[in-house]
Amino acid sequence: MTDQSRTPIVDFDVFASNTLADNNAAWATVRSECPVGWTPHNGGHWVISGYEQVAEAFRSWEVFSSARTDPEHASITISSSRIPPLIPEELDPPEWHPIRRILAGQLSPVAAERLRPRARHWARHCIDQVIEAGRCELVTGLAFPVPAAVTLEWLGFPESDWEAMAHAFHDPSAHPNGSPEHRRAFAAFGRVTARVAEEVALRAHAPRDDGLTAIVQSEIEGERISSELAEALVFMTIGGGVDTTSALTAAALWHLHRFPDDRARLLADSELLESATEEFLRFYPPARTHARTVTHDVEFAGCPMQAGDRVLLSEIAAGRDGEAFPDADRFVIDRFPNRHLSFGAGIHRCPGSHLARLTFTEIMREVLERIPDYRIVDDEVVEYPNWSMIGGWANLPAAFTPGPRIG
Amino acid sequence: MRVHVDVEKCTGHARCMAYAPEVYELDDLGYNVTPVKDVPAEFEEAARKGALACPEMAITIED
Repeated sequence: MTDQSRTPIVDFDVFASNTLADNNAAWATVRSECPVGWTPHNGGHWVISGYEQVAEAFRSWEVFSSARTDPEHASITISSSRIPPLIPEELDPPEWHPIRRILAGQLSPVAAERLRPRARHWARHCIDQVIEAGRCELVTGLAFPVPAAVTLEWLGFPESDWEAMAHAFHDPSAHPNGSPEHRRAFAAFGRVTARVAEEVALRAHAPRDDGLTAIVQSEIEGERISSELAEALVFMTIGGGVDTTSALTAAALWHLHRFPDDRARLLADSELLESATEEFLRFYPPARTHARTVTHDVEFAGCPMQAGDRVLLSEIAAGRDGEAFPDADRFVIDRFPNRHLSFGAGIHRCPGSHLARLTFTEIMREVLERIPDYRIVDDEVVEYPNWSMIGGWANLPAAFTPGPRIG
Repeated sequence: MRVHVDVEKCTGHARCMAYAPEVYELDDLGYNVTPVKDVPAEFEEAARKGALACPEMAITIED
């Protein structure tokens, strides 16, 4: 992988900068030096960091495949995490198409909107637990449990499953590799897949009014999908829905603490939340990178890419590209237009984006209305230990003026 | 004013509808399947915003 044909060479190790500030700085450097280049680090891979190039690569699925190449390890992360296949994300057309239609139908704008009252309910419920005390762990008490509850309740898992299932997806991002939480999370994946299989099997014989049943009863060309495919779709939905919206919410809560002027503007004009949501997404993309595999020898942005080459696309670098966003390193609460790539682009665009936006919005409305003066205890803030793929915060302890429960 | 939607480029972000629900109609899966549409005068500004919001650059405006 070190032959001289792959140029230009960039000295970029996505795992070397492990804080938000350092990781952002590393991406800014590599983008300004070389928006498309080859790094010898981490087994050797292309690094695409310019907005136009990231967008084009996301859209060119014929060249940049997301298909699983190794049954054990993910193709869409550069760390090749050991997780079950992500379906339909790790499929290319034509297999991708009918399966994507199932998920797109379940998570369409209209379908997502039906869950808004539940997002509001769970946000209200979580704040009710802490509002009289005047203190809260904003991640474990709010940003993490609300998206998990919305997703798992809609699917139809019993409440007794929620905490363990949500932790299985949150803990690998929130805790360092080798920590007890991290080890437990990977062990817990087996239990999650077993519970998914049990509930899928139950719904096949005893349908209910829930997301699990809708997925189990889905058809492709007039035939009900296999239980294996139904299980994979449920696993994908939990994985996509649990920790990503949490990470965005944590980022927004941290940002409004650090930048009081932005909080004041939101409190003065709640309609700004719509454009602010897009700016939070641009500035703090929960999924900061995705990986692809080159399908055939091709020249892309002047670079000679070869079949089988691994490629790292950077949503965070694209979102800070000054060619695409005026004053890109500044958070502009009413920025418009804001065509960030934080839900991806092209055929694999995050199908949960509609539910993510409205869940985030309901949590933030509840915070701004009920604990508008929250202050985070800076000394006790804990960032995720690694910002190479999912970026967020593990702990944001906060204090605020106590208020009454309303639930 | 008319809006032209390159429906091949639409991947269902639904940002057009977020800004101009009166102009951009989506199918059951949330994709824009209407290639050409006339825009009443009162929705022109919203239609422009919806076009500018599309991450796939799939919408063009014809005045």
